[in-house]
Amino acid sequence: MPHQLGVTIRAEVAADQVTPLRDWLAKAARPEVADDLFAFGGMRGLHFAKLFLLDAVTDLSGQPIPASLVLMTEVDAPLRPHLAELIDVGGAGIDQAFGFCAGYPGWGSHPRARIAWLRRHLVRASAFYVNTVGRGLGQIRQEATLHDAIEDYLGPGGDSGRAADDVRREIRAYVAGRPDLTWAMRPPAPPSVLFRAREALHAVAVPLALLWLLPALAVILPVWAVLIRWSERAEQPATGRPTLEHLDALAQYEDFVTQNPFAVVGFIQPGLLRSATIRAVMLAIDYAARHLYDHDDLAGITTIHFARWVPLDGWRRMTFASIYDGAVEAYNDDFIDQVWWGLNAAFGNATGYPPTRWLLWGGAVYEQQFKNTLRIHQVPVPVWYSAYPALSAVNIENNARIRAGLRGDMTTADAERWLALL
Amino acid sequence: MAVRLDLPDIQGLFARGYSKHPHARFTVFTAPRPASGGALLDWLIPQVTAAAPFSGDVALQVAFTASGLRWLGLPDRVVAGFPAEFIQGMTNTNRSRFLGDVGESDPCRWSWGGPGQPPVDGIVMLYATDQGVLTGRQQELRARLADNGISAVTELPALERRDSEPFGFHDGISQPVIAGLPKAVGARQAVAAGEFVLGYPNARGQLPDSPLLPASADPLRLLLPDPAGSGAVDFGRNGSYLVVRQLEQDVDGFWRFLDAATRRADGSEDPTARTALAAKMVGRWPSGAPLVKAPGQDAPALSDDNDFTYRDDLPGLACPVGAHIRRANPRDSLPSGSATSLTTSGLHRLLRRARSYGPAADGPSGTGLYFMCLTADLSRQFEFVQHTWLNNATFNGLYDDADPLTGNRCSAGAAFTVQARPVRRRYPGLPRFVRARGGAYFFLPGLSALRYLAQLNKGAQK
Repeated sequence: MPHQLGVTIRAEVAADQVTPLRDWLAKAARPEVADDLFAFGGMRGLHFAKLFLLDAVTDLSGQPIPASLVLMTEVDAPLRPHLAELIDVGGAGIDQAFGFCAGYPGWGSHPRARIAWLRRHLVRASAFYVNTVGRGLGQIRQEATLHDAIEDYLGPGGDSGRAADDVRREIRAYVAGRPDLTWAMRPPAPPSVLFRAREALHAVAVPLALLWLLPALAVILPVWAVLIRWSERAEQPATGRPTLEHLDALAQYEDFVTQNPFAVVGFIQPGLLRSATIRAVMLAIDYAARHLYDHDDLAGITTIHFARWVPLDGWRRMTFASIYDGAVEAYNDDFIDQVWWGLNAAFGNATGYPPTRWLLWGGAVYEQQFKNTLRIHQVPVPVWYSAYPALSAVNIENNARIRAGLRGDMTTADAERWLALL
Repeated sequence: MAVRLDLPDIQGLFARGYSKHPHARFTVFTAPRPASGGALLDWLIPQVTAAAPFSGDVALQVAFTASGLRWLGLPDRVVAGFPAEFIQGMTNTNRSRFLGDVGESDPCRWSWGGPGQPPVDGIVMLYATDQGVLTGRQQELRARLADNGISAVTELPALERRDSEPFGFHDGISQPVIAGLPKAVGARQAVAAGEFVLGYPNARGQLPDSPLLPASADPLRLLLPDPAGSGAVDFGRNGSYLVVRQLEQDVDGFWRFLDAATRRADGSEDPTARTALAAKMVGRWPSGAPLVKAPGQDAPALSDDNDFTYRDDLPGLACPVGAHIRRANPRDSLPSGSATSLTTSGLHRLLRRARSYGPAADGPSGTGLYFMCLTADLSRQFEFVQHTWLNNATFNGLYDDADPLTGNRCSAGAAFTVQARPVRRRYPGLPRFVRARGGAYFFLPGLSALRYLAQLNKGAQK
């Protein structure tokens, strides 16, 4: 199965186009309109898509940053056919949306020109988290079908007094006997050799580089810690609260299906110290996402499908965007209770965040300040698409385990545990 | 945690459910504008029962919605200090979707509190030892409201308090034990008072957000200071959010479904299986005995048992993962692991104060529950439980199972899964058994805050 990509396309919106674009997005937000315009469901390997507007702002030194339109997709590699499909399949919507942006070639131009334009507006993420690396859309859909087929086969079920081994044997025979499900008896194909080789190299190279840098780090880290703590002493509690209008603007696009889209954007604190810190933290998050949390959970949180950190405007701003299961309140609580340190390490370098101590402590643990800060910096996502709106990340993992349990021998106890997945 | 609760300033509903006052009636009202609510409050305040020890035969509590607080003269900037959920109210469109108040529970169909109906400004709650006493006090209240030009939106008469809710299950067993109340002495798992009343540290050791005023806005010094020490005065201190929802229960439909689902192969009814399936849905037997302790049959000796965990039943073989009580309070059964799960569950507790209702000549037509609960954080406690645990079809690894009792089953969640060996028993196509018929978010102020409210408009008139 292919590995997944987090694609970000961002383009500037001229000042006089912001209001028309906003109105257009509000109309395109209606699911039947979005389906018609973008046909996201027709794009191969597309898991999720988000389209949202970042308003014009002035940065911390007073420089204006124009409004921009952002398209984010989570899609199976490779990139090239996906960019082509954005135009070939979703061209009606993409043309209209990016038609509000300066310089978009527009409808009527050669598709190659529009694809090239999208490519020029790609923005690199500094870290990309995937719930389970290499579990492509095809696999997720196949395994959901498998789950449903076995559930149907079992019917009402119940305590029949039969042995788990016998029931498992019957299920295996049933699946093996269905021509449309025989694939399930084999393990899913891993990502490409090239991808795996690259990841393996990265997994080793980064620690080696750190080892090599250790003498230098031994000198830098204590100095850095003192400087960070010094810088933190000036931080004020985050007292802002989101307005009711902003909350409604966000909530109107939330809680329709199992997943929700999430996007926050904020300014990175000025100065070399924070600029260097956020870059180092991003390297660490990138490493952790790729090699430590590449299967099923992000530091214990099992509800996140995808997440990415994308620096904007020459690292003056940072976007964090994700697709998660359930409510924003539950999502924030998970952050506060389980990965406060990770949140602090990244967001602690942003302005308006609750005060941190030694970067990792404090911050997110100030519940109300943290929740308010995130809501304030959250951006409404009017257009968004999910290829599997009824499946939680836990369901997807469970389906994969059901498939895995079709193969090989099992003890009775293991067979009982496997049947409990259904 | 040594917390000294200011019981004489907190309304009594925080400390007790008035089980010794089995007769109750709740009056939801709309206030006329412009008019002063001060006179009404002057009359009500001496009757308001506090959380300090109490032995009277009638208890009265009073709470207001955001619009009610504005009517009483609380300035907009102070009201703005309340959380969005409270200001926007229960029937905000996005909130209704979030709470599952759609389809048959859509506020447009409510008998009170919905859009297009008289706005709800407040609620007066009367509890009495005796029906006669209650009737007398209710008449006085009615007359006094009328004198002040206030119209009752609806009167909600409760049935005489029983141990069981309308489906027939012993109810109200699992209540958080609040640190600082006498009952908490010696309790193993007391919950921080700040989870249910403002002005005290919550489960995270932090003071809940509270609407503050500059001390200069309180020249009579009626309000208590901000416990955080900001120098401001705290309107919210000793107050709680009160969630009120009239939930109609389709008792016949519930038992009809169970009957059909448990008939024997020959078509005859099987009362034992029927009750057992109902117990699986609830997580307790009709007596209240928890399934994890009494998996096979009812055990009335365990009727008030609340001392259990799911440690030995993580697969849900005794108590299904999707059972009502295992959702409303998952205890140690969340997939994050026992200790984390207990901490998580502790952050989403509700102090429930429900009363049942039945068809009444002067009240609602159906049967159900006036669901009521107190919280210090509407979003993290009530709304979270309603959305993320009860109505969530993918709760705790499930696929299509909303709460078997209360789930709205609008877009998903119509199945009920009973974990079993060798394979689970699945019941698809559950109908909807519970419908919301009315509701609002209220604030139940402390006594000092009530006294502050009482003089606000008078001050303006001078």
